[in-house]
Amino acid sequence: MIRPPKRTMRIVQIVILVIMGFVALYPIWFAILAAGRKGDSLYTFNLAGMFFPVEWTWQNFQRLFTQQPFWTWVANSLKVATVTVIFAMVVVTSAAFAFSRFRFWGRNFGLTLMLGLQAYPGLLSLSAITMILTAIGLYGQHAGLVLAYTTGMLVFATWNLKGYFDTIPIDLEEAGMIDGCGPIQSFFLIALPLARPALAITALLAFLSGWSDYVLASALVPAPDTMKLAVPGLYGLSQSVSIPWGMFAAGFCIVVIPTIILFLYLQRYLEAGLTLGGVKG
Amino acid sequence: MVGMTGRRKTLYVLLFTLPTIIGLLIFNIYPNILNTYTSITNRNKFRPYPDCNITLNKVLVPYCWPAFNVPKGTGRPFVIVQPIYANYQTIMKGLFTATGMFNLLLLVLCIVPLLVAYWLDRRMEKQMERRVRSWVLWLLALAASLVILVLWGFNAWNTLINTGDFVAVVLKTIAFVILRVPFTFALGLLMALIVSSPGLPLKGLWRVALFIPWAASSVAILTSLVWQFFFREQGTINQVLSTLIPSYTPVVWLNNPVYAFGIIILVDVWYSYPFFMVAILGAMSAIPNDVYEAADIDGASYWKQLTNITVPLIRPAILPALVLTSITAFQMFGTVWAITQGGPTAGAGKPGATELVMIYAYKQIFQLQNYGTATAFATVIFILLFAATLYSLRLTQLTRGANV
Repeated sequence: MIRPPKRTMRIVQIVILVIMGFVALYPIWFAILAAGRKGDSLYTFNLAGMFFPVEWTWQNFQRLFTQQPFWTWVANSLKVATVTVIFAMVVVTSAAFAFSRFRFWGRNFGLTLMLGLQAYPGLLSLSAITMILTAIGLYGQHAGLVLAYTTGMLVFATWNLKGYFDTIPIDLEEAGMIDGCGPIQSFFLIALPLARPALAITALLAFLSGWSDYVLASALVPAPDTMKLAVPGLYGLSQSVSIPWGMFAAGFCIVVIPTIILFLYLQRYLEAGLTLGGVKG
Repeated sequence: MVGMTGRRKTLYVLLFTLPTIIGLLIFNIYPNILNTYTSITNRNKFRPYPDCNITLNKVLVPYCWPAFNVPKGTGRPFVIVQPIYANYQTIMKGLFTATGMFNLLLLVLCIVPLLVAYWLDRRMEKQMERRVRSWVLWLLALAASLVILVLWGFNAWNTLINTGDFVAVVLKTIAFVILRVPFTFALGLLMALIVSSPGLPLKGLWRVALFIPWAASSVAILTSLVWQFFFREQGTINQVLSTLIPSYTPVVWLNNPVYAFGIIILVDVWYSYPFFMVAILGAMSAIPNDVYEAADIDGASYWKQLTNITVPLIRPAILPALVLTSITAFQMFGTVWAITQGGPTAGAGKPGATELVMIYAYKQIFQLQNYGTATAFATVIFILLFAATLYSLRLTQLTRGANV
């Protein structure tokens, strides 16, 4: 597979690529078209209108902003995801450092156990989490959601950061220790500044998982409308009696497209994490 | 921190890890314990609050703790069921009987030829001369599997599906996981081969475009709603088909159990082939070019190079990815929920045609509030997932890092 293929083969390749590229992009493109379509429907009897923007109106966006608390949903989502990330990162960074730098009793067991716990899907423990949050009076509150999300991120963030700390040579810290630097100082003054890129990536990935969640958000903050988060809020639109598809599509464009762009930007880090487990094994 | 020993080290380790440990204990381990405990009680819609006179309730259920002032409600309180495995008995109904086990055995028998083929294939790879070609072996195994499936498999499947909710839901989910694997893998491999083909114009653009479904899978519940629309009676598929074929009568795709299941797999393949494409591209970039050069000199065709060099060399990297994505697919929720919500129904009180494990759990917990049986279900699923995760960890050697 080092020589370029023959001419006919290349044409076949391009045809497959065009078809698959179209299939990959069409659902997103379809939502953009529907967001600009007149009337409140996803479909049009004009077949060309299913593929090209034959008409365009901002009406759906205007109605979404005025008739639904859309920006409140987005603000709620941003708030919850951001607070969660800060919470998780503050808690987790030091633990990741300890798991990377210290050799202590129960270390291997703890690391493996964390991954095993991760196997309990959040959805299945929802009845217990609801009970706990009701008891401490946080059910239906954003604070309760933050607590529930943080749990899911603890394991992921610890492992991710520990992996990065492992790649930082220990020599710097040893040099620091000779100069009288204790573990706390070497954590704050040496390891943390060096781990800044990993901190940023882990935080972004954690943010994304909170921002795009549906199950916990819809179960732990079911009502009222102004408390909802963006994804359950939009999903709720599609479940109402007179489905306002135009509004849904407009909201879809605002919520999903930035998410996809952020995800594409993070792609190479995801790939790095992928190869970490696989290729070298 | 090599130099530190004894009590000082312990102190620092505790200082650094304590916040995480406390977080995990309160919001990860404790809910799991509470969940498991609920599975031996009769908590449901009519008995939401605990009987605080029972010692275990007093200790485990936060509603009973004096620190929290929870209104006790008016309904009857929930207590521990007798015998304590009654909920498990309810959900497993019909599995541990002679017919249940026999039918399960018949289903397992369907994949035995494939396992034998895999084993033989690995064995023959080590020999100098192969007596049977690899593809002949696999074709024979596949044929044998299909024969067993047609002869006994379908019957066994139908009997098992009707024995109980748990069996039906888990079997459907396993079928879903198994069916999606060949499609995602084949599509991922095809796209990886094309994208990595030398001299392809606009390589970067294609990669980004093909990657978009994976990016969209992070908000699967919203993107899948668009997919659901394609398959409606007045959706895009029917619209295009009726333009192309004048005599076409629109099909309500999602009302047909078989179509609905197929659509779930189709959409899931759409979401997950980029992952395999990326994983395969990564594995292929690790294969040195010399191998292909040598094969070229020996006059090996493209097909020969693919089956004898590329596929065997990427296999060690792809197998862990396969297991990991299968575990994720087992927990599929958003896509199915948005497209079918578990339907179309198979009758009242029975799980629908696309009611996978998570959909079933969600419905049991939130719509029917059968907490007792739902948590028993969750506990069994957790044991399955826990075993699968530990196995995949051994496979990926991810915890290797822990032994440095």
